[in-house]
Amino acid sequence: MELLFLLPIFLPLLTAIFLFFNKNLFNELITNFFTLNSALLSFAISFYVFVMLALDKFQPISYSIFQWTNTPDIKIDFTLDGLSGIMLLLVTGLSFIIQLFSTSYMETDEKHNNYFVYFNFFVFSMLLLVMSSNFLVMFFGWELVGLSSYLLISFWSKKPEAAKAGNKAFILNRVGDFGFLIGLMIILNTFNTFDFYTVLKSASDVPENTITLITLFLLLGAFGKSAQFPLFSWLPDAMEGPTPASALIHAATMVTAGVFMLVRISPILQHSKIAGMVIISFGLITTLLAAFSAINQYDIKKVLAYSTISQLGFMFIAIGAGAYVAAIFHLVTHAFFKALLFLGAGAVIHSMHHEQDIRKMGGLRKQMPVTASMMGIGTLAISGIPPLAGFWSKDEILASVFANGGIYYIFWALGLGAAFLTAFYMGRHWLLIFEKDNGFDHSNVNEAPKTMTRPLIILGLFSIFIGFVNTPFFHGVEKVLHYSLEGVEITHLPEGITLIVLAVLSIGAGFTGLLIAYLIFSFEIFKRFNFKRINLDYPINLIKDLSFNVLYLNKLGNSIFVSGMKNFTRKVAVIVDGLIIDGSVNFVSTAFGKTSRVASATQTGLVRSYVVYFGLFLLLLIGLFIITPMVPQ
Amino acid sequence: MVDLILFFIPAALIIIGALIVVFAKNPVHNAMGLVMTLVSIAIIYITLNATFVAMVQMLVYAGAVMTLFLFVIMMIGVDKKEQSSESIKGQTFLVSGVFLILISILGYVAISSEFKWDLWFEAVEFAVEGTPQLIAGTLFTAWIFPFEIISILLIVATAAAIALAYDSKRKKKDV
Amino acid sequence: MRTILKERKKMFEVTTDWYLTLSAILFSIGFFGMMIRKNALIMFMCIELMLNAVNLTFISASKHFGQIDGQIAVFFVLVVAAAEVVVGLAIIVSIFRKQSSASVDVLNVSRG
Repeated sequence: MELLFLLPIFLPLLTAIFLFFNKNLFNELITNFFTLNSALLSFAISFYVFVMLALDKFQPISYSIFQWTNTPDIKIDFTLDGLSGIMLLLVTGLSFIIQLFSTSYMETDEKHNNYFVYFNFFVFSMLLLVMSSNFLVMFFGWELVGLSSYLLISFWSKKPEAAKAGNKAFILNRVGDFGFLIGLMIILNTFNTFDFYTVLKSASDVPENTITLITLFLLLGAFGKSAQFPLFSWLPDAMEGPTPASALIHAATMVTAGVFMLVRISPILQHSKIAGMVIISFGLITTLLAAFSAINQYDIKKVLAYSTISQLGFMFIAIGAGAYVAAIFHLVTHAFFKALLFLGAGAVIHSMHHEQDIRKMGGLRKQMPVTASMMGIGTLAISGIPPLAGFWSKDEILASVFANGGIYYIFWALGLGAAFLTAFYMGRHWLLIFEKDNGFDHSNVNEAPKTMTRPLIILGLFSIFIGFVNTPFFHGVEKVLHYSLEGVEITHLPEGITLIVLAVLSIGAGFTGLLIAYLIFSFEIFKRFNFKRINLDYPINLIKDLSFNVLYLNKLGNSIFVSGMKNFTRKVAVIVDGLIIDGSVNFVSTAFGKTSRVASATQTGLVRSYVVYFGLFLLLLIGLFIITPMVPQ
Repeated sequence: MVDLILFFIPAALIIIGALIVVFAKNPVHNAMGLVMTLVSIAIIYITLNATFVAMVQMLVYAGAVMTLFLFVIMMIGVDKKEQSSESIKGQTFLVSGVFLILISILGYVAISSEFKWDLWFEAVEFAVEGTPQLIAGTLFTAWIFPFEIISILLIVATAAAIALAYDSKRKKKDV
Repeated sequence: MRTILKERKKMFEVTTDWYLTLSAILFSIGFFGMMIRKNALIMFMCIELMLNAVNLTFISASKHFGQIDGQIAVFFVLVVAAAEVVVGLAIIVSIFRKQSSASVDVLNVSRG
């Protein structure tokens, strides 16, 4: 049992290495065969291991591979408990489904084999991250996930935008990792070990300031990885990568690593009030900002990217409010319906022969019925319509925020607004693609092949039913996470009438959002009715403009960091390098030249001056002889 | 008493001769001063029991070398008036500096040894006569190797002198 | 009386140091002459002075130690000095055939 749960981690690695060395030898079929079988095997083993764990009431088990030093305690260690078990299932399951989709999507691509090498490497890194039992192994996984993401984003490396996007992702990630690393150093300094068990148990012994410091630095890492404000701008650009990769990485797994990490350290996190406030505020800013920006995006994948950022914000809000179970639950449900939406978008892109602008689509429901219905399910799920999955998880988050009281009422209201916006832009997204007929000729658009629609159907089913694992009547996820969150004060849902009212309000928000989207984009209310008395053009255009340009935040960041840094470094290059360094080097050489010119004045070439030198030094020698005491024999 | 006279008079002559060599204007005066010095040194050699060497000195130095010098002086340096001012920059300064350092060293030595002249090694009581037999005995046995070398040296010097001074373009030699 | 006479004699005896002092003085005069004079021939004569001072030192050392080797060294120095004079004068003659002045100061070809 102990070794068995390590197998799903290393199987993708072996597959990646195997495919890497044979990537020029294998044709696509063989690669598909190996990778799909490996993914299926990983998932099967993970499922079995998880069931075993469930039967054992989710007691954590761990296994250490390699102990480097004893004090400080540095080792390579893996653990399987409720939290990592959930993530294990999620990652391996989604990996299989998405790889199934990818075999068809990447069919005609010349770098087909490379894709699966990177994909499997990513799965390995992600599993390294979630199955780790100490901060060090988690950091290894953290960094490797960033690397895999870079490899997959800049997959079509000939495109300059793809390469730039890959760089941007990696660099912004790195900024976060810098914070993570400092957090790690403080942890090692304070606790003298990296092990989760030891650190989390002795959290109450450490002063609150240190805890705050540790969590804030680790938080910086989470911001980078999970694309929160201000380190979010890499995620929309990451859409340059292949869509299935985006589905796995930027929807379901890598970006949730930040959330996962924060839940992992929740025994520590709960002691720091400041960190909690920081998390929830940044989460809210991110959610609203991303939701607002998604209103007027035109690229089919960019809408989904901003949606992901927004939903991640939701998870951070949950963590900030102390509802760790809700955060994990939303992570799981979001993984499913976001992967569904991304894969659906991939199917649409594929069928539209790589057209990605949704303004050029419309009325595709006739040509692509399966895709349309599955994406419709995804849209409903994300908008929080019961009994789909999204409703249960989002509602739990909002209710937990409300339950905290005080200033959290305002946070709840803002969260509700974000939920409304979510429904609105997702409704717009679906309607513009599938419903509204813009008069384009789509006769050559066919339904996607079976290997693409089958994963969509599977994910659709999950999106419908997965919500039932953690309703207010059956707290399945809470039971699973019992041992992982031992000692943690979890914010619970309010009881009775409050809960029902809150639920109705959130359903109402979702429904209203969808309705308004329908009215504006399908029913075209602004064209049919003239609102003569109120001139609505200017505010609407303003909203559209600000939304599309993400409140011009990217331009602001660009001018501060990119142009600012360039100017600064140019000044440094001129002043420090040119004046100081070159100046000092030149100074040394000119000084030498001058002194040697002076010194060469002694070389007169005249006998008499040399005689004088003889005399001088002879006398010097004699003087030396006189001064030094010599013993006569 | 006789020793003193035999020492001081040649010593005085030596010093005077040396000063004439250094400070005279006419080159022939210089040469004469040098001759005086050389002869006085030969006299001192005799008082030091180096009779053979004194004779050799008289013959070679005062005879041959000085004749050579006088020949060359006649050839070159007689009629030119030498400028008395120093032409090298800083030379006077350096020379006076060396002089001062010398004086100071001498003064230091004199004062630190409190005007006593203690040599490290004791003088030997018996005197060695510088007879030709003794010199020849040592020269041709213990010092045979340097002897052969300087004979080669003499030949080389002669050949060199002829090679250097030979002027094929010059038709007539003016005196 | 005899002892007093002996002591008086001892006080005024010309010991080796006197000769060494004389040699030193002669050497210094020769050296200063080299530094001061510009005429090549006279510089050569000063060299001869210095050599003779060294010879004097050798002979007095030979008397001091009672060995003949000092005089043999003088022999060699003498011979070498003679050869050197020959060659040196030949050089001076050949140099000063080109330039009519006898000054050494114009020969600064090896100036750095």
